[in-house]
Amino acid sequence: MSPAGEPPYVIIVGGGKVGYHLARHLIERDYEVTLVEKDAVRAEWIEHQLGTVSVMVGDGDEMAFLATTGIERASAVIGTTGDDEDNLIVCQLAKTKFSVPRTIARVNNPHNVAVFKALGVDAPVSATEVLMGLIEAELASELVRGVAVKASGACLVDLALPAVSGFVGKPVAEISLPKGGIIVCIVRGGRPVVPTPETVVEAGDELVVFSQLTDVAALGEAVARG
Amino acid sequence: MKVIIVGCGRVGARLAKQLDAEGHQVTVVDQLVSAFNRLGRDFGGNMIVGNCIDEAVLRRAGVEKADCFVSVTNGDNRNLMAAQIAQRFFKVPRVITRLYDPIRQSVYREMGLETFCPTSLGADLVRDYFLTGVNRGHETADDPSTVGAS
Repeated sequence: MSPAGEPPYVIIVGGGKVGYHLARHLIERDYEVTLVEKDAVRAEWIEHQLGTVSVMVGDGDEMAFLATTGIERASAVIGTTGDDEDNLIVCQLAKTKFSVPRTIARVNNPHNVAVFKALGVDAPVSATEVLMGLIEAELASELVRGVAVKASGACLVDLALPAVSGFVGKPVAEISLPKGGIIVCIVRGGRPVVPTPETVVEAGDELVVFSQLTDVAALGEAVARG
Repeated sequence: MKVIIVGCGRVGARLAKQLDAEGHQVTVVDQLVSAFNRLGRDFGGNMIVGNCIDEAVLRRAGVEKADCFVSVTNGDNRNLMAAQIAQRFFKVPRVITRLYDPIRQSVYREMGLETFCPTSLGADLVRDYFLTGVNRGHETADDPSTVGAS
């Protein structure tokens, strides 16, 4: 890790759209960044655009080259190429050979997230999965419908929690639903769970909520945003 | 034995044909349908078109029940990733991967992966010929199973 007071040093491997914008973003937040890019022309363009970033032309998966990037003092190595195999190998080399504390990999094929975790990448990030989650959340907020309880104006709503919902990981007691909606049941893995205030909500849970019919749309939005 | 071979290039196809002829149950995975032409008409094993670093494709190839797994695509990282999915994720008992880069070979051997490196094998063969006058490179070239292979 970097000594106190010094900006954290991060190595990004892959100067495509993701790597480039990430580098720019991190520099704006005062990180020290080295970007590794195979293509010399692309590397020069990035250096010209960003000015303050150090761009190195080389193969991020070559041990000898990695050793020249100052990788021993890096707080994190991030693989952002468009090829899952390259991102994986960069992270594994960083972890096992250079003891980098945190490895982050862009996962292009969402099937590979579990594989990356099993193979030792600290944080596999699947843009496709995130995007799907967001779209699903948008859909969910449109599609939520309640089942009316007789003609009382109240209803029961079944809300599928998208993985990106801010509710995920929170105990029931900390979840505030619009206008006093009440979580009466959590459906987890197809089985009902009677929630206590301490029950922590997980991604993939469905919340059965008692609410007013007029508040159903607001509920959908609340779940999507958390 | 149930064997999965990923990468149907010269090495993959040759190995697949040999093992198939010896009566093993062989499945070959490659991204290109045209690569399977190398197997010839007599090949009796399975052919799966798909990306070998996608666990869904490997499942389709029967990785969960495989005894052996070989990765011989033309990319070192691709081979490493496929082999590690087979070994660590699906617990295939015997996994071996080809690596052209000797440095990567030593790193991953330390991490418990069986590997072979044509780069160092080839260099050693030539060096031995220079030093001893014996060319061990001819030993396998006369193998009758290579006749007609393209």
